Amino acid sequence: MTEEQAPNPPDPPTPERRRVGVFICQCGGNISDYVDTEKVRETLERDPTVAHAEVQMFACSDAGQGAIVKAIREKKLDGIVVASCSPKLHTLTFRGAARRAGLNPYEYTQANVREQDSWAHTHDREGATTKAVAIARAALAHTARSRPLEPIRTETAPAALVVGAGVAGLRAAVGLSDLGVSVHVVERAEQAGGQLARWDRIFPNDRSGKEIVRGLLEEVAKRDNIVLFTGAELVSKEGHLGDFTVSVRTRTGEVIPLKVGAIVVATGYEPYRPAKGELGYGLEGVITLPEYEELLGNGTGPLEYHGRPVQTVTYVYCVGSRDGSGGEGSHTYCSRYCCSATSFAAIRTSGRGTPVHQYHLFRDVRTYGKYESLYERALASGSVFLRYRDDAPPKVALEGGRLVVRLSDTLSGGAEVEIPTDLVVLVVGMVPRENAALTGVLKLPIGREGFFNEIHQKLRPVETVVDGVFLAGTAQGPKNVAESVASALSSVSKTAGILLKGYVDLDPLVAKVDASACTWCGACAEACPYGAIEEVVEGEKHIARVVPVSCKGEGACVPVCTAQAIEVEGYTHDQVLAMIDALAAEE
Amino acid sequence: MKVDPTLPDRLARTGGFNASACINCGSCTALCPLGMGPFPRQLFRYVLLGAREEVVRHTEEIYSCLLCKMCEDNCPAGVHIAENVRTLRTFLGREELGLATSEV
Repeated sequence: MTEEQAPNPPDPPTPERRRVGVFICQCGGNISDYVDTEKVRETLERDPTVAHAEVQMFACSDAGQGAIVKAIREKKLDGIVVASCSPKLHTLTFRGAARRAGLNPYEYTQANVREQDSWAHTHDREGATTKAVAIARAALAHTARSRPLEPIRTETAPAALVVGAGVAGLRAAVGLSDLGVSVHVVERAEQAGGQLARWDRIFPNDRSGKEIVRGLLEEVAKRDNIVLFTGAELVSKEGHLGDFTVSVRTRTGEVIPLKVGAIVVATGYEPYRPAKGELGYGLEGVITLPEYEELLGNGTGPLEYHGRPVQTVTYVYCVGSRDGSGGEGSHTYCSRYCCSATSFAAIRTSGRGTPVHQYHLFRDVRTYGKYESLYERALASGSVFLRYRDDAPPKVALEGGRLVVRLSDTLSGGAEVEIPTDLVVLVVGMVPRENAALTGVLKLPIGREGFFNEIHQKLRPVETVVDGVFLAGTAQGPKNVAESVASALSSVSKTAGILLKGYVDLDPLVAKVDASACTWCGACAEACPYGAIEEVVEGEKHIARVVPVSCKGEGACVPVCTAQAIEVEGYTHDQVLAMIDALAAEE
Repeated sequence: MKVDPTLPDRLARTGGFNASACINCGSCTALCPLGMGPFPRQLFRYVLLGAREEVVRHTEEIYSCLLCKMCEDNCPAGVHIAENVRTLRTFLGREELGLATSEV
């Protein structure tokens, strides 16, 4: 690994001599309806460090960014402030505008006068305007004390670890291999294949789950840059994006260290297991959808269960999904695959030689996207759909040796309907796997429902807050096979994109130590949740050193340092104190 | 009411009754110029569920239908509503009203 620290740039001019540009965004009325943006501009313009101030309709628009670039070039600005929305939205946008104008992107500060001001004070224009001035002045004080920073560059190893060998993990492994990345796959179970290997036929194109898995395993076997460990577990992870050292405990108990640049987590889901007695689970003839799929897979003739012919099947949907009770461990989400999978099971059931009467007890049919045709085909093949309300689930009982399901069917005006049946199939949802040890090793955040969380649901769907750790498949939340594979390939492209480039550039907003002031007490290292601080000897002196690629710039080290010897770039003591002064200043 | 799959099976096999494509939108009932309670959407559900006594209870509506096909013309699922009503009339006539009709 090489770490190239940014060369120390020349000292920036003192704050008083800066030439800062201030851009006040109206956000098309979101801000200007409640804040007097012109007054903010006039007030800021009077500050001696401000060389340019203008109001914009939409600063983030092409026209807005163009005006910023123009002002930077024409007025020779050495820093900018954009008073607009939350920095979560547009920090990168305006850093980009600064870069295009030849200004160092870290000479930019975003002042949040929308979420933190105009939207919060819609009743008080004068107060909101005063507050906008204060927030913009604080940002100005910040930019006036900024200095140019360069990204931290680190080399990457062209190898990846995939955790989990279900359809997502195997597809990710093959995809990475094809792009020239060596792959180690770790599977906890004795057999690769995950849940899909249990499944008879998969919608929409009627392929066998077992065959899909077999095909993927054949692809894995063909490639000499994939190593598959089954009966193995990931036990430790050290290092950082591009250069992780992970340990894998194999089936024999041996612990093998591996060097990888990135990790793909594809640990999958488990089918929800109904409690005994829940909708009759435990009674003879009450089974789950995966169990029914196994039954369908055992033969092609007339359907039998435990030697008895099956003439009526009653499906109960949303078992272990969309549980609105909000109780501990309740599964409030939709499991996505089940409406389509059950419609598909019904279509296959109707083709089994003898007529089978099928009743679907649903809450809402969600055969979304291209799978709507499965619902239509299930209807056309004679399935009858009855709708129950979530607060009145069906009741399943065994009466005189016969299963009977009762419900109030909202599609029949709430009529109480009684269905004598041979089988009750509980359409169970997906629940997260028990992964406490792995979660501890990877330090991955888990959502309220127990699945691993991505950074951004829409725009960064497979990345996690741990740099270099990506998600694939249902470890992230319910998905059907097509969606699992899509997310696996998405994580392949994210992983390979980083590893094949050979290096990554990391944000330079990290902690730095003032060697002259540090006396190495170790408090900072203890406070750091990322293990990014180490003790080094410099001359005679023991001091703290920050490993820049591990540091997230989160700042836990800063307040614990009694010598004030550590601070975070972009949030220096000087900057933070000046911002507080600006916020507290009287008009 | 207890489901009885033999009723819809029999009506489908011998009379061509088919309402399986119905998506329960209720357009048919809303458009019916006679405005007769459960007719026709809910009546077809009674058939699908095999609730024979409910079908019989609505004999009046089944025979009042003008067969104007306003519902059928506007059915988003393409259900042949008028044809189904004819099938039900034949069934009721033979099995409930003792009329001499062809086998249903």
